[in-house]
Amino acid sequence: MLIYTINRLLQLVPIVLFLTVVVFLFVHALPGDIIDAIGGTEAVNDPVVRKALEKEMGLDQPIVVQYWYWLEKVVQGDFGHSLITRRPVTVELLERIPATLYLAAVGIGLSLLIAIPFGTLAAVRRNTLPDYASQVISLLGISIPEFWFAILSILVFSLYFGILPSSGYVGPGEDFGLSIWYLILPAVAIGFRQAAYTTRLTRSSMLDEVNKDYVITHRSLGLSERKVIFKYTLRNALIPTVTISGLQFANLLGGTVVLETIFAWPGIGLTIYQAIQLRDFPVIQAGILFLGFKVVIINLLVDLLYRVLNPRVGIGQ
Amino acid sequence: MSESRTMTSTRLQSRQRVDTVSPGETPIRVRLRRLGSVLGAAFYELRKSRTASIGGIMIACLLVMVLFGQSIATHDPEKADYRKRTQPPSAEHIMGTDKYGRDIYSRVIIGGQRTIIISFAAVTVGLLIGIPLGICSGFYGGRLDSVVMRITDGFLAFPGLLLYLLIVTLAREWKLQGLLNDAILVMALGLAFWPEVARLSRSTALVEAKKEYVEAARVIGLPGFRIAMTEILPNCLSPMIVNATVRLGLMILIIAALSFLGLGTSPPTPDWGSDLRAAQEFLQTHPLIAIFPGLAICISVLAFNLFGDGLRDILDPRLAER
Repeated sequence: MLIYTINRLLQLVPIVLFLTVVVFLFVHALPGDIIDAIGGTEAVNDPVVRKALEKEMGLDQPIVVQYWYWLEKVVQGDFGHSLITRRPVTVELLERIPATLYLAAVGIGLSLLIAIPFGTLAAVRRNTLPDYASQVISLLGISIPEFWFAILSILVFSLYFGILPSSGYVGPGEDFGLSIWYLILPAVAIGFRQAAYTTRLTRSSMLDEVNKDYVITHRSLGLSERKVIFKYTLRNALIPTVTISGLQFANLLGGTVVLETIFAWPGIGLTIYQAIQLRDFPVIQAGILFLGFKVVIINLLVDLLYRVLNPRVGIGQ
Repeated sequence: MSESRTMTSTRLQSRQRVDTVSPGETPIRVRLRRLGSVLGAAFYELRKSRTASIGGIMIACLLVMVLFGQSIATHDPEKADYRKRTQPPSAEHIMGTDKYGRDIYSRVIIGGQRTIIISFAAVTVGLLIGIPLGICSGFYGGRLDSVVMRITDGFLAFPGLLLYLLIVTLAREWKLQGLLNDAILVMALGLAFWPEVARLSRSTALVEAKKEYVEAARVIGLPGFRIAMTEILPNCLSPMIVNATVRLGLMILIIAALSFLGLGTSPPTPDWGSDLRAAQEFLQTHPLIAIFPGLAICISVLAFNLFGDGLRDILDPRLAER
């Protein structure tokens, strides 16, 4: 296990390097001069200033050397300053994490609350009306674009009925009640979509499980159907659902760019979106590197967890 | 259900067994006849599955829209008419008009044309890169396999939407317009798709490569590459087809999301995502404008999802038993 972990960590090195190269080259692939791009709105026309800037930023060096200097800073967590706010990029991104975390956690919680009962019901009452209904609804949930769902929910609940705010964010630390009020629409939009996947998953793994021998044994022992389903079967059937929900949660940590934009939710996604709109390249760079790194780490954790949970995976390699 | 399925397969096998070539037949005609019988059998299977037939009919409608969009559209989708701004649906404008007085129905049709063509192109790019790489990697194994898989991992490490954002931002900074912009989008979407294809086809190829028919092909002296491409590849296609179908729907969602974020085509061009974005400011007064493009996206994604679900049941009977 230890050797495998070390091996797996070593494999990450080229992947992470590849990620940084792409992100680094991104700025160089922008049209025009780097100084114009980085300099942003301030026109840098004076040739002397330009030369000095070039020297200061190391642009007179070969590109490999430039990459090395950049990487050195990035490893220390220094992505430079935002071109718009002039604040360090790292700070800018870090303070957006809580909002994204809050939304992702509640969204996934909501999706589990929908998926587990409906998926189980669909499997237990297979080929009946509840089963068909949950299948149709989850198929719709997968097909509806989340931004349309969001717009429609704003239309119905805040414009027509006027009961929920259409956008905005209040931290749970400031005013908990009010923050829930603002949270409902975006969290439901996330929860509904994720639940569409996990309901299908719960249904199919539950169907797999109820045909297994131990279920028959429990039934023949005379246990009530309720006990068989809720105490024994569901517990095993939920393993894939929980695994996938964990992955979904991890993915949502990057912020859902679209939903955060619609609901003006100040998370990572909105930050990256605004950076693209305002051409704030250091923030784009850092944001994308952050998300890529996150995906790499999650993949690693999933692989390791798999081995811990199912020792048979490693045999034969 | 399962009984009829086995009956079909025996029927198919017996049909293949009696497939003899009459002396006067040209090779092309033989191939066409075989293709015809395969398609006929496929169609028969499709008709049995309700989800697949509904999805198939919806996809057929979408394809008609793509092919004959210009004739189905009633107005010029880009022609503004300021006397007819934000009108409700009427006999002349089936879905009403938007804030510039443009016909929404025609915009939905023409916008859909572009979206669906791009998603087809992107899936094709992904399959063209991913399938050969995956098959060769699974078939040859060894060093080639580990190199290809590492590259795949590298690409998979990019969060999908972020890769598109990166590439589409670059395209915008270079002020690319029209066809070139669409081509970049196709490449971005295809690049994000191929690692998944490569992984899937590698895992199927790994299983197939150990089967007897591959051994037989080796015995008769076929070169390795030819075995991979003509023997193994056709047997790996069915999971690919299901995956690609579902992916088509996902592509439509991504394209719409990107243009909803303002990273698609520039304004006058009709587009589901950007029309939806534009409709947002009229949500309070004219909510209907926001309904139709969204509905169009939803219906087309649903079509591919239904068809993909049905196909999966047909091609993988083990799952269908559930």
